[in-house]
Amino acid sequence: MESLLELKDVSIDFQSKRKSFNIIKNINLKIDRKMKYGIVGESGSGKSLTSLAVMNLLSDNLSIGQGEIILRTDEEKVLNHLSKKEMRNVRGEDIAMIFQEPMTALDPLYTIEYQIIEVLRYHRKMSKKEMREKAIAMLTSVGISRPEKIMNDYPHQLSGGMRQRVMIAMALVTEPKLLIADEPTTALDVTIQAQILDLMNDLTDEHGTSILMITHDLGVILETCDRVAVMYAGQVVEESTVKNVFDNPQHPYTQGLLKSIKTLGDRSEKLYSIPGNVPTPDEYQELGCRFATRCPFAFEKCFNEEPPAFQVGSDQTSKCWLHDEEANPNE
Amino acid sequence: MSNQPVVLEVKNLKKHFPIKGGVFKTTQGYVKAVDGISFSIKENETFSIVGESGCGKSTAGRTILRLLEPTEGEVWFNGENLYDIKKREFRKKRKDFQLIFQDPYSSLNPRMTVQELVVEPLLTHNLCTKKEATEKAKEMVERVGLSEKHLTRFPHEFSGGQRQRISIARALIVHPKLVILDEAVSALDVSVQSQILNLLIDLQEEFELTYIFISHDLNVVKHLSDRVGVMYLGQMMELAKTEDLYNEPLHPYTQALLSAIPNLSTSEKKERIILQGDVPDPSNPPSGCPFRLRCPSAHDRCVSENPVFQEVKDDHWVACHLYDEKNS
Ligand SMILES: Nc1ncnc2c1ncn2[C@@H]1O[C@H](COP(=O)(O)OP(=O)(O)O)[C@@H](O)[C@H]1O
Ligand SMILES: Nc1ncnc2c1ncn2[C@@H]1O[C@H](COP(=O)(O)OP(=O)(O)O)[C@@H](O)[C@H]1O
Ligand code: SF4
Ligand SMILES: [Mg+2]
Ligand SMILES: [Mg+2]
Repeated sequence: MESLLELKDVSIDFQSKRKSFNIIKNINLKIDRKMKYGIVGESGSGKSLTSLAVMNLLSDNLSIGQGEIILRTDEEKVLNHLSKKEMRNVRGEDIAMIFQEPMTALDPLYTIEYQIIEVLRYHRKMSKKEMREKAIAMLTSVGISRPEKIMNDYPHQLSGGMRQRVMIAMALVTEPKLLIADEPTTALDVTIQAQILDLMNDLTDEHGTSILMITHDLGVILETCDRVAVMYAGQVVEESTVKNVFDNPQHPYTQGLLKSIKTLGDRSEKLYSIPGNVPTPDEYQELGCRFATRCPFAFEKCFNEEPPAFQVGSDQTSKCWLHDEEANPNE
Repeated sequence: MSNQPVVLEVKNLKKHFPIKGGVFKTTQGYVKAVDGISFSIKENETFSIVGESGCGKSTAGRTILRLLEPTEGEVWFNGENLYDIKKREFRKKRKDFQLIFQDPYSSLNPRMTVQELVVEPLLTHNLCTKKEATEKAKEMVERVGLSEKHLTRFPHEFSGGQRQRISIARALIVHPKLVILDEAVSALDVSVQSQILNLLIDLQEEFELTYIFISHDLNVVKHLSDRVGVMYLGQMMELAKTEDLYNEPLHPYTQALLSAIPNLSTSEKKERIILQGDVPDPSNPPSGCPFRLRCPSAHDRCVSENPVFQEVKDDHWVACHLYDEKNS
């Protein structure tokens, strides 16, 4: 079966009058129907830009320099070639998105009822009564116990957890094929995070919705996803099933990240840490591996030539020269 | 750690913020941000305060340091009640207590260079000459993992992790006794967070510091703390040695909190307690136990009576009616 969403060699560049540089380079991803797919990486690694590119919501100084974003529903569409109007139909209808801070997506001037009904009015032919009933049913399904009351509230009257529930209700009310969730629980307390992740899992299972979960938190990936792509400095450095990546990480960056997290909490051991800082796009190495300056295994070739994504095992890729038998000095 | 002397003792500390309203801006009620917490901290210990946002952690920290005036209670430090000291006298002691925040950007003056930022505390407390201060700043900056060349730069030229190193240098250059770290590593990415945590652990030993570590991140707290206190709606729900708290949490809130931490193992599925609802509004807390509206074990007594915070095992304290019989 062909995947629902596919990113083929997608690059994103920054341009201004004064300078231009590349941020995202050659991203390849495939998300199947019903799949829960994660993108994990530290801040600045390019997770949000990747998802905004899918939604065609990049700001004016950014552009997709190369590659295709393909969505396969009843027909096949290349999203980055669609017109603004065609894309507006895809958003909401086929793909919906929720953000870390629901206030950025909710309009403070309108009631919750108005905002949910707006989504339905645009995408569905329904009577006013039907829309209201649908909105109430949706709020109930996201675990809101008094939906009639919430319908009349304004966003600022709700707690962070409630707002995120409302966002989820708005995103899923049109039953999209794909839900993109960008750090949906990062601003929430752990007990509320557990509620929201639980809810997202149940609802998407029920409707067969695919999820693209974007987070800096490996724990959230493990809780919710089937597959994961690890991003570093605008590139996918490793990709596989969540189990493979956790139990058998291949890329030195993934290994370092997991080691940091796993030594956390074990007080007898010194906490492992990756040296140096996450680079900003203007610091990205033009040649070689973008992780080379922080990598404990880097050798000469790493600084001179960009590694391709090597196939390791049957279902895992890792973008690192160590997997090249001819290049690796230790082999 | 257990045989170290007690340096700080907090007794029944309360901080209530008045809620003003109406045409005459009269007091209409109180946010009971901190509502009667008690604990003691030993020398060179790391004592952590955990709990969800709004439960009163920062207010507790700031009130202990007298950056906020307490509503009620006492804070004993090395044998004297800090709240009995006259304001002017207390200013001289201020250097013994330092506070490091989550976002170093808002606490570092953007127009000052690193050099100026790091010598400032020494000069305001008249601790040495300008020349000595410059020398000390250089040493301190290197000690926290920056270099001499950074001294002439401004805060915005640094990443979040490096800015936090600057705040640490500023706090430690006056050789304080107690440092309160309020969500000090919460905004940092994993790879940088572990660098800063290692630095804090090393500096604690080197400078013989006592830490109060305030955080909502239960994994970080587990790594760093000797003992942990769990707050909910302004009250202390449980307090114990780190191992005891994580291995055998007694309070239903602590149990739920720990079970909500995302799992980091692919082999075992965690049994999760999903709490219903949100933390109640602290200006309108429920009767009885503050946790009862979300507690899976709530019973009649929890509605009518606020449970007493009591020691139910060796150095393991809990405020919950489930443990009442054991003491009566
Ligand atoms: N509009 C923009 N103009 C210039 N750079 C940007 C813009 N948006 C994001 N960036 C940069 O692109 C990189 C990736 O950003 P982002 O995708 O937001 O990262 P993440 O979501 O992983 O934290 C960052 O270094 C960020 O500073
Ligand atoms: N200056 C203030 N005036 C009024 N209410 C405050 C003030 N500071 C904090 N609060 C309230 O006190 C409660 C505890 O806040 P805080 O100590 O910041 O919690 P935490 O640090 O655990 O997130 C919250 O309900 C908060 O809104
Ligand atoms: S390619 Fe080289 S520098 Fe990059 S991760 Fe692999 S070993 Fe490290
Ligand atoms: Mg982001
Ligand atoms: Mg706080």
